[in-house]
Amino acid sequence: MGSFIIRRSFTGILIIFVAIFLNFMLIQLAPGDPISILSGQDSPSPEMEEALREKYGLNDSVGVQFLTYLRTLAGGDLGESILSGRPVSEMIGERIGPTLMLTLTTAILALLIGTLLGIYCARRPGSKLDNLLSGLSYLFDSMPSFWLGMMFILLFASWLGIFPTSGMVDLRANHSGIAYYIDVLHHMFLPATTLTLLSIPYFFRITRSSVIQVMSEDFVTTLRATGMSEGRIFNKYVLKNSILPTITVFGITIAYMITGVAIIEIVFSWPGMGSFMLNAISRRDYPLLMGIYLVLSISVAVTMIVVDVLYAFIDPRIRYSK
Amino acid sequence: MEIKRNNQNIFKKSINKINDIKQLKVGVILLVLLLIVSIFAPVFATHDPYSLGDEMIAAPSSTHYLGTDGLGRDVFSMIIYGTRTSLMIGIVAALISGVIGTLLGGIAGFFGGKIDRLLTEINNIFLMMPTFFLILIVVALFGSSLINVMLIIGLTSWVGNARLMRAQAMSLRERTFIMGAYSIGEKKWTILLKHIIPNGIFPIIANTTMIISGAILTEASLSFLGLGDPNVVSWGQIIYNGREYMTSAWWISTFAGIVVVLTVLSFYLIGDGLNRVLSPKLHDQN
Repeated sequence: MGSFIIRRSFTGILIIFVAIFLNFMLIQLAPGDPISILSGQDSPSPEMEEALREKYGLNDSVGVQFLTYLRTLAGGDLGESILSGRPVSEMIGERIGPTLMLTLTTAILALLIGTLLGIYCARRPGSKLDNLLSGLSYLFDSMPSFWLGMMFILLFASWLGIFPTSGMVDLRANHSGIAYYIDVLHHMFLPATTLTLLSIPYFFRITRSSVIQVMSEDFVTTLRATGMSEGRIFNKYVLKNSILPTITVFGITIAYMITGVAIIEIVFSWPGMGSFMLNAISRRDYPLLMGIYLVLSISVAVTMIVVDVLYAFIDPRIRYSK
Repeated sequence: MEIKRNNQNIFKKSINKINDIKQLKVGVILLVLLLIVSIFAPVFATHDPYSLGDEMIAAPSSTHYLGTDGLGRDVFSMIIYGTRTSLMIGIVAALISGVIGTLLGGIAGFFGGKIDRLLTEINNIFLMMPTFFLILIVVALFGSSLINVMLIIGLTSWVGNARLMRAQAMSLRERTFIMGAYSIGEKKWTILLKHIIPNGIFPIIANTTMIISGAILTEASLSFLGLGDPNVVSWGQIIYNGREYMTSAWWISTFAGIVVVLTVLSFYLIGDGLNRVLSPKLHDQN
């Protein structure tokens, strides 16, 4: 178990390192010279440009620059936003709460609903409900997330007026206590529903095919031959064996979901990292954009490793086979 | 004559196969329609998609089938021309990913050893990266031309293909006909390119079809973030432009979105159908 955790952590560290390296290389290769922007448009003096270059360490070799970058990152310094001049890490810290709330809520909802539906359909393959849900899972897979969100806004917010169109709280109402939480839930309903609907197909399909596969294995036939009831075979033997792939997929799905969350946040003006990112893109605030990318890469890597270790903990075959 | 009849047989057989599998049939019909629309776009379009009209946000009518957008452009014609952009991005990006995936996977699986371990580790890293954000940063930094978008999507989506090809190569290299090729003195690279890859390519074709879907969705998302190529009409951009008019002109975004769904769906269905041709066992169970 110990060596497994060490191996996975090594991969995780490698991934974070690659993300940092890519980040650095992209800025190096990107067109444009930061000094010409910093020194102003009106015929800056060469001396000033030289001083700025010296100040920001741009005269050093690429290797030295990379080491400097690593050193400042290790201290939690992600640079300063070009536009607001505030530290990027501080700005991201303010925004990460709402994103986490939305991501975790929808991930858990999708996991539960998708797995349950998958199990239900796998036990009745070819039934009407099975066909309907399989068809729907294709349909939701083919939808651009932002478009589904916009359609929901159109239908439930603009036409029916049941849910708010944007934001996390009603700023005019100034709620407190329980009313505040209800207000947040009310605002969260549409973005969370959109994301959950779009993520259910992953869990639905993997659970369904996994259950069907386990059901066709020889030991199930043997159990049937002993006269054990279908319900008992399923609950006691099939379920445990078929639920494992779902856990692995959960880790990978989180990575995809973060993309979805960012875009859905933009559609619903949810005050998280996604809408923040849109600002960073449209104003070309590169330090902020890079900071967001790094934070996301690191959180995805950490999540996946936690899930992997959890998986190995549940299934001994994993930790002994590799 | 003999060959001709054989060819006809294959053609008939594939038609039968397509008819057998529902997903494949629906997907192929949709795709053929899309191809016709994109090739004959000027015939179908009622207006010039780039020309700004006098009627802004006009509702769908007999002159503007799907209404007009905020600049008075005809939504129907824009969607028709957008087919070209989306199909091109999807297919070119998927081809790039297919070639890279096949080569890297083939090399890893066929040669094995250190190369395999290195490539598999690279593969794992790519699998765990939120690639969409990488694509986003690259496009934001280096410009959002059509070529950039196609290249970066292709360069970041080969992981699945490489995994499939690696598994194929590993099982194929033990087969007798590969041993036979060795014994007549063929070089390793020749064997890889001439025997391993052609014999193991089928699952990669199925998967690459699905990558087309992913690429079309990625391009739509990029356009929605304002990072689409401003010089061409694309469905994502129509949705993006329509967002400001959601309450006053619902038709702009709605119809463009429906077309995206249908297109992506057609490639998913074809990919899934091809997978079913590959593994009839799975097909029977479902």
